[in-house]
Amino acid sequence: MAPPPRSGDAIFANVDRVNAELFTLTYGAIVRQLLTDLEEVDEVNKQLDQMGYNIGIRLIDEFLAKSNISTCVDFKETAEVIAKVGFKMFLGVTASVSNWDPEGTTCSIILEDNPLVDFVELPDTCQGLYYCNILSGVVRGALEMVSMKTEITWVRDMLRGDDAFELRLKLLKQVPEEYPYKDDE
Amino acid sequence: MIGVGKTKQYANVLDRPISKGKQEVSLSAFAFLFSELVQYNQTQVDNIAELERRLEDAGYAVGARVLELLCHREKGNRRETRLLGILSFVHSTVWKVLFGKVADSLEKGTEHEDEYMISEKELLVNRFISVPKDMGTFNCGAFVAGIVRGVLDGAGFPAVVTAHFVPVDGQQRPRTTILIKFAEEVLVREARLG
Amino acid sequence: MQFFGSSEISPSPPAPTASGNYGHMMYVFNRNGVCLLYREWNRPLRTLNQQQDHKLMFGLLFSLKSLTAKMDPTSVEKGNLGVPLLPGQGCSFHSFRTNTYKLSFMESPSGIKIILVTHPRAGDLREPLKYIYNLYVEYVVKNPLYSPGTPIKSELFNTNLDQYVRGLG
Repeated sequence: MAPPPRSGDAIFANVDRVNAELFTLTYGAIVRQLLTDLEEVDEVNKQLDQMGYNIGIRLIDEFLAKSNISTCVDFKETAEVIAKVGFKMFLGVTASVSNWDPEGTTCSIILEDNPLVDFVELPDTCQGLYYCNILSGVVRGALEMVSMKTEITWVRDMLRGDDAFELRLKLLKQVPEEYPYKDDE
Repeated sequence: MIGVGKTKQYANVLDRPISKGKQEVSLSAFAFLFSELVQYNQTQVDNIAELERRLEDAGYAVGARVLELLCHREKGNRRETRLLGILSFVHSTVWKVLFGKVADSLEKGTEHEDEYMISEKELLVNRFISVPKDMGTFNCGAFVAGIVRGVLDGAGFPAVVTAHFVPVDGQQRPRTTILIKFAEEVLVREARLG
Repeated sequence: MQFFGSSEISPSPPAPTASGNYGHMMYVFNRNGVCLLYREWNRPLRTLNQQQDHKLMFGLLFSLKSLTAKMDPTSVEKGNLGVPLLPGQGCSFHSFRTNTYKLSFMESPSGIKIILVTHPRAGDLREPLKYIYNLYVEYVVKNPLYSPGTPIKSELFNTNLDQYVRGLG
């Protein structure tokens, strides 16, 4: 029998940790650099998403290895595990999953605590910036590596005055592995 | 900028209490983020010197904010006016908050009056980056050098700050030294204060 | 090459079992069939060139997974043979044994496949394979200079791996 998946708290207690402020300030530095380099808020959003994607495709293996998860086939289960274990073991905060649509292909992940945004207030010149867009990229990249192609959008953003951060995850399709070699052998 | 309160929603960010600074994230999260910072900057530059400069600039902004935050939280708004005071602040308080420990050592340069060195056996940001040979002396510690420069500048002690690898006998990995070269005016002022 | 990470790789390595788990060779594939790693410790007979060997191994496992899922007597839903499966879907095959060797297999949901060929008297190697996956995460995935999907060239990973497999025997 495979051992049961470990809880987010247990994993977080066992990994090396750093002060969240270093993390927050470093992320702020990244956003600032992008704003200076790219100027257009839409470009920055895109770049943050891409950076997140690059992180997500690596982060997934650490997530799978540390959490003892052996299958990621059911989207519902996967979303729960991302919220309860994933966010906890990396960011030290728990998210919740809700607002499932009847088909079970779309849901929301809700974050009330977000270490990326401490000390941050969006100036007027940056309205339209999804400051935490790196998170949507991370989740998208990670899910893609477990064969789930998704579309992720922000529904609520605390930096824009909402009361929480809400990501809407939509499962587009599950892409199983194809035999990669041509049949010429 | 003041911190964000966790459970209560305030109308104005300035009304929220400053966080106590105890929240943590996993080292992995920071490592992945920092790695993207380096990789993104690699695409924006043509040479190593420029890459280090960009990392340093990124760190500078962090340093300025760290100073504000710490002065308010840890020292009750007291301002350092002496050289050794600010160096000690960087070596102990700033390092403790950012890296969880005080720096390994703080030394005065032997060759020049205006040089001081903070050394770390294994700087956090260098722990997970292994520099390929073709990148020469590139040091991700440039980010930390920028942080130090930001702190010093904001406190009224302008300086040029750089990061260097220093090989250590008997150890496979070199240690990282943050070299601080204070501006002329700082030394003049220090001498005047006696 | 240096790595970063905790002093303890979790889960901690299981104690070596009494029977001789003599490692012969090991393959690591990613979901696209790229052979990320091939380590050989004891392989007296080689019949194919490297590329063909890798393809054969990958193809074998791909088919075995499909076949074992199809033949599963406990499962109600059975896809048609040949229909691609998601990693983790269906029952999970984890080893086969002949009179001369045992092949142990582990697949992560992200499609990373680890194959370890050992002495036939080797015990259940599922925990060691998980430990090797952790080694992969610590020394390969977390190295920012490694591009996912390319062959692994980390000295540190290889050394730790060799040490660990030797310790299994």
